[in-house]
Amino acid sequence: MAQSVTNPSGIPLKPFTPDDDANLREALKRCSAATYEAAAQFRKTGNTEHLPAIVLGIIERYVEPDLRPKLKEAEDDLRIIEDLGIDSLTMMEIVILVEDVLQMTINNEELRHLRTVGDVKTFIECKVRGLPLPKPTKFLPIEAIVSVMPIQPPFLFLGEASVNAHGANAKYKISGQEFFLQGHFKDNPVLPASIMLEALGQLAVLFLLEGQVGEAGKTVDHRTIFFTSCEGVRCHRVCRPGEVLNLSIKPKRLKSPLATFEGQIRVGQEKAAIAEEITLTFAFAEEVAEPAPQAQPAAAVASDPALAAVNA
Amino acid sequence: MRKVYITGVGFITSIGNSAVAVSESLRELRHGIVQFPPFQKAEVPVKVAAPIRDFQTDTTDAEDWIFPARYNIRRETLRGMAPHGIYAYCAMQQAVEDAKLTEADWSNPHTGLYAASAGSPFLLGHHLERMRKMGVMRCAPLGVVAAISGTVNFNLVSQFKIKGASTGFSSACASSAHALGFAYDEIKLGRQKRMFVVGAEDGNVESILPFAGMRALSLQHDPSIASRPFDVARDGFVGTGGAAVLVLEGEEEVARRRAKVYGEVAGWGQASDGYNVAISHPDGAGLRMAIENALNYTDVTVESVDYVNAHATSTPIGDLSEARALKSIFQNSPTRPAISSTKALTGHGLSLAGAMEAGFCALAMKEGFMPGSAHISKIDPACEGLNIIRATLPHQPNVILSNSSGFGGANVCLVFKSV
Repeated sequence: MAQSVTNPSGIPLKPFTPDDDANLREALKRCSAATYEAAAQFRKTGNTEHLPAIVLGIIERYVEPDLRPKLKEAEDDLRIIEDLGIDSLTMMEIVILVEDVLQMTINNEELRHLRTVGDVKTFIECKVRGLPLPKPTKFLPIEAIVSVMPIQPPFLFLGEASVNAHGANAKYKISGQEFFLQGHFKDNPVLPASIMLEALGQLAVLFLLEGQVGEAGKTVDHRTIFFTSCEGVRCHRVCRPGEVLNLSIKPKRLKSPLATFEGQIRVGQEKAAIAEEITLTFAFAEEVAEPAPQAQPAAAVASDPALAAVNA
Repeated sequence: MRKVYITGVGFITSIGNSAVAVSESLRELRHGIVQFPPFQKAEVPVKVAAPIRDFQTDTTDAEDWIFPARYNIRRETLRGMAPHGIYAYCAMQQAVEDAKLTEADWSNPHTGLYAASAGSPFLLGHHLERMRKMGVMRCAPLGVVAAISGTVNFNLVSQFKIKGASTGFSSACASSAHALGFAYDEIKLGRQKRMFVVGAEDGNVESILPFAGMRALSLQHDPSIASRPFDVARDGFVGTGGAAVLVLEGEEEVARRRAKVYGEVAGWGQASDGYNVAISHPDGAGLRMAIENALNYTDVTVESVDYVNAHATSTPIGDLSEARALKSIFQNSPTRPAISSTKALTGHGLSLAGAMEAGFCALAMKEGFMPGSAHISKIDPACEGLNIIRATLPHQPNVILSNSSGFGGANVCLVFKSV
């Protein structure tokens, strides 16, 4: 490392010799030309902007051709095993090629939790930059959601969910059995817009409870989460029984006692609703003195008059 | 006692990549031996081999391999394979189609697979070299299963979702004959209803040339006379690779499925020389005992044997000891069975040989011919008294013996009967 130079982004650069270039071409011969270009640029400049293209290009090479279109959608929550059909041995092949191309070493232990394409991209970027590794995406089936959420059926509007440092995603299928559909509307069941916003609010609650909020070691007390405000809520489409809502939220500001998120709901590829800002209050566990016996449940989110007004 | 039948065959061999092509080559005595391009170097005195056509497997990267379009093999299937893995996969496809089996027929606890190959010295060398150069953590994840002995059973059992008995056999050139014998036993004993028997070898530089060290390979430059078992001027074997697959089924399954039958596996015998690690017993003592065991077990008389598919590989010592074993068995027999070595055409397939030649016997029984022993211009005087046929005979053999001998003096004799 004595003769290595350091570029502005702080990554030590080894010289990139014609031999290295030949090896790189050979290693990436089954990847797209763009993958090689990105890798060569990265090796010459250390510019981490090339990393997503390199990592996606390498993953693509190991995905069976009939599944590759999925990868083109470039969704970060695309799951490596379930959606792309990559098994643990193929994952090792990917790792070995990534190690070879990026000149780095990855431990088995570090790989265990990588579930999505986004996890892999974030992981590689952190490794290359020498940053601490983020917690990987956590997947929660409905049982896990029910066990952590203060909100419970019949007022829980989240099915399976995934949470990582950058936000949370969930699906909710409108079963048609929801009690309020009997009256909303007469002989014409339509999911109330207030419920759509409620569902996004619930996903934000899940993020606060399962995500990485605040300093290490602190956990959010579920009894302290309440709705405060929302801004810029627009509904684009009516949602009916049988349809599956794809909910996603991303934190915009997280500073106790307020957490602000942006959220959107899609049905298939169609936008159903967006909320520019949903703000919740919350507190960390150690900041709560004694459990207040009369504490209002967090489900009060929906009964907040401000939220109820959304559907007016 | 339950009878066991051959109901399907598949071939990727130097003399053809289908049963039809193989049968034609056997009848017309068309050999598959060429001046093998990788051997054409000043430092390699061996010049000939019997390669596989229509496949290209000479790189260490399975994704570079070329194979006939009728076989659709995905990357995830290919990545754990040696060159002979792809041959075996294709021969297996042929065999299940030939036997008209559906996946439900073969993927169940009553169907097993016994296989034999020597592994892939080619890939083993490559992966060990990579380990030394790049470090242990950069070993290809599937390098081990692609390279070691057993690779052919690992791959086929998982790819074809075999649920019954499975293992590999390792007695060098007797391996796949052992596999067939023990597969027969599984059905006979009622443990399995159906068995696949697989023999396969890479047949490339790394699997053939090491035999030059023990002076076992022919140094002939002329492919048309290089492999000439029983000829007085024979000077060693010609290497080959490929794969052969046989489907064995018990009589109940044959009746239930109304399966087409090539012939019956009547039984088998084995015995060992207990003599030398690499040289066969000069009098063929072990092979003689294996033949006697096979005849006793099957209740077949010496006189009723019509055809012997000899192991004879075209080495001076090996052919002689087999000739002596055969003479001691058949010397007093008035009928003198026809004897030939099909290795004159195919070259010697090592672990593949036993299954490949059993497949040839299946074709001979079903189609009614006995393949001749090619390339003999002057027969070895030591073979005097044996009926070594130099041309193919257009008769159906009723009872066939097929011999195989391997390192350490392992000898197997398989017995087939026409139906």
